[in-house]
This record gives sequence, structure tokens and C-alpha cells, in this order.
Amino acid sequence: MANKKILIVDDDRDVQQGMNLRLKANQYDTCLAGDAFSGVAEARRSEPDLILLDLGMPAGGGFLVMETLKMIPSLAVIPVIVVSARHGLANQKRALESGAKAFLQKPVDDNQLLAVIRQTLGEPARMKKPASRDQGVV
Amino acid sequence: MTKPTQRIADLPAYLSHELRNALACIHQFGNILVDGLAGELTGEQREYVGIMLENAKKIRSVLDTALDGAPPASPNIQTKIERVSKLET
Repeated sequence: MANKKILIVDDDRDVQQGMNLRLKANQYDTCLAGDAFSGVAEARRSEPDLILLDLGMPAGGGFLVMETLKMIPSLAVIPVIVVSARHGLANQKRALESGAKAFLQKPVDDNQLLAVIRQTLGEPARMKKPASRDQGVV
Repeated sequence: MTKPTQRIADLPAYLSHELRNALACIHQFGNILVDGLAGELTGEQREYVGIMLENAKKIRSVLDTALDGAPPASPNIQTKIERVSKLET
């Protein structure tokens, strides 16, 4: 079975690279974008199964990405998980109201991120690797 | 809201955003090392990265309490900016 493809949209290259490594290690294919505009363009080009979306970015930000995706029928069905450094319930509420499947605040626990991704993609849960010391940190 | 007052009100959100992104990188790459995604670590190396991650958790906890838990800036806060002249020596 082909790997699921995940688009990471984040303007922080280090965060992008970290997520990319983690997802590839868990048998996901990835594609990357560093701002809102290229996020939408990359979604069009690569048609991912899921989008991990930052909120605070150049060229419009994550909310604009979600609004734009909703206007394109083929992209409107792609589930979005917001992974943001922005604080507060207000952003969480707005993200969920805008159609995000989940809102995770950075720094995100890897196991939690993977669990939310699997749940969103309808994949069965996997056994957690015992190595990480960050379990339980959300 | 005046500009200086607006800046004060925006400070927790700004700090939270900037610190959380930096913390996310420490957290992600620390765990990438611990999980052996960049090659196996020795016991000692694993211990040191573990200490780093534990302290990243402490910073996060401080951040959650000090910034995200902070009440919004009171509209009653008054800021007064005055131009001062240099002391002449």
C-alpha cells in the first residue's frame, strides 16, 4: 500500500525539517511549503492526504490557506491539522471553526502528533516507541 | 488603544510565539536524536540529550504559566513616554 502524503506548511525551516524527519521515519511521504501562497500551490500540485498547517506565516497565514482550500472543491476535502506557536483558546476555536480537524500548540509531543495524524487519516493506532522521554508532554 | 499600550498588550503573544517555535525545534531534534533517527547514541549521549529535553519541558511549563496564563493587559494601564535629554558631563 502506498504511503500517505502529508504537506507541511510552516515558515520556520527548522520546524519544517524536524517534522519532515519524524514523518518520514513513520512511513509518510512529505511535501513542504514555507508560506501561505506556496502552501496552497503545493496542495494543488501534490494533492496530499493531509496538511499540517502553521498559522503565523508570510503571504497571508494559515487562516487564509484554510479559506482558500475551502473554495477549491478538490482541496476542500483534505483534512487540516493546525500546528501553531500562537497561544490561546481564541486561535484554537477559530482554527476549528475554520475547518481544522485538530489544533496542536507547539512544541508538540511527537507521539501526540502522530496519533492525531493517524486518527485523522483513519489509520489504526501503532504501538508507541518507548525511546522518547517526552511522552505526556502536549 | 495607543501604540505603546498596544505593544505591551501584544508582548505575551509575541514572546509566546517566538519562544514556542524555538522550543519546538529543541524538542523535535532532541527527540530525533533520542529515537536514533540520526544514528544510535551512546548511553552518555542519550543521558545528556535527555537532560536537555527535561529542561526544555521546564521552559515550556514556565511559558504556559507566565505567558499563556497571563491575564490580558488591563485597559486601565497607562503608559507615559517622555523625551529625556542626555546628561551633560
